[in-house]
Amino acid sequence: MCTIYYTRMKELFGKYIREKRLLLQKEDKKFSLRQVAGRIAIEPSYLSKLERGKENYLSEEKITALANELDEDKDVLLALIGKVSIDIQEIIKKRPELFAQLIRELKNMPDTAVLRIVREVRDGKW
Amino acid sequence: MIELKNSTLVFSFPDIHPEARISIKFQRTLRIPDDEKTYPLPPGLGIFPLKHIDDYPVPEQWVEHGGVMMPMYQSEAMWIDFSTDYMIDHRTSYPFAIKIATGKINAVTGEPWDNTLNSNPQDYMVSTEQPWLDGYCIGNNVIRQFVAVPPASGYSAEEQLTGKAEHGGIQLIVYPMKKEIFYKKFPIIQRKSVINESGVRYSTSSDMLIAPGGKMEQEVFEDPFDFTDWDQNINSRCFVHIADSMVWRSITGENPPTVPFTAKEYNRHGFPWFKYYKDNSKSLPGSSILNKLKSVLQMGNDKGESPLPENTPVNQENVIIISKDQVREGHF
Repeated sequence: MCTIYYTRMKELFGKYIREKRLLLQKEDKKFSLRQVAGRIAIEPSYLSKLERGKENYLSEEKITALANELDEDKDVLLALIGKVSIDIQEIIKKRPELFAQLIRELKNMPDTAVLRIVREVRDGKW
Repeated sequence: MIELKNSTLVFSFPDIHPEARISIKFQRTLRIPDDEKTYPLPPGLGIFPLKHIDDYPVPEQWVEHGGVMMPMYQSEAMWIDFSTDYMIDHRTSYPFAIKIATGKINAVTGEPWDNTLNSNPQDYMVSTEQPWLDGYCIGNNVIRQFVAVPPASGYSAEEQLTGKAEHGGIQLIVYPMKKEIFYKKFPIIQRKSVINESGVRYSTSSDMLIAPGGKMEQEVFEDPFDFTDWDQNINSRCFVHIADSMVWRSITGENPPTVPFTAKEYNRHGFPWFKYYKDNSKSLPGSSILNKLKSVLQMGNDKGESPLPENTPVNQENVIIISKDQVREGHF
């Protein structure tokens, strides 16, 4: 069960970044596999393996760099690879009960309802 | 709803349109000399940091007002920058009516604050016309720059007009265009292909107020739409408190921005000034109430004080003509 799950995640992550890179490459050749790999400082063969779902290890720093390259949200790429960014982990660790409860309560809410909990600037009496 | 993102107030109206959004920033700038000469537009020197007041030990009155706060040095100047997202499908950005006041004195008319839009005289600006506001609208194509002064000094627009420093701060309210009017005036245009695109509260003495400074060439434009196009049932408003930069660190634990350049220093380096060019737009005549206000220097002379540390007249040789969406920033 676990192996199937991780294989599936690797494939999803790989497919996602490959599709995005190829889309960008259509417009600009600087998004070739070799050039993107060069800019995020990994071997082209390793990026190729990631894209084909054969590998799934990439440090948060590299994922952030890849997200910037592909104009993607780093949290989305981290989630696809089964990770949560270190800054979010630190936030949760400070108030674990509160955030665990909050996340569980938000689990089945539609996106529109979740968006309503973003912090608004409070208006007062004036 | 209003969110605070990277020291920018983002007013959004997702119930009207997912891209009905306007960002408002407070730009640091040179204080132009207060010498009755009319100057071109000074540059943006980066934005003022903004913080939720709820996160810090601020005066009780600030808590009651809600909103955000920013630091300003005494006699520092600022301008307010409006930016909206271009909506490719509609070939425009979503139009908003924006009303601004300092110390609850309307910066376009000089009238006391109220929460509604008024058309006679027009007491608001329109986002599709107006990219920024640098001061009080005192005449056709002339404003007096927003300059920070200490409270109870008598210099602020609020004190000059009401005799007291009761409210302070900057007040903003934004109204979107009515949804049905927007779709009628700006229908979707089909595209052939997709384009890439500590528990201690600080007293009110930490306040700064806004007063009229030197004169600047700037138009406040007439509303090009019908007054009934604005959706007066929907609005978002925000109170922006101004903290003295000298106490900003005590309140927030963070350093305020460094002291800005003087106009003389800026000019010495040959950096640019700006003139805004907009074709086919009419501007408002300016407020007779605001025109009667004394500038910081005039008030200082009456009081026998020297409120402006550096006020040497400058000549601007490097003036750049810009139009909407062009950046108005100094190069450093």
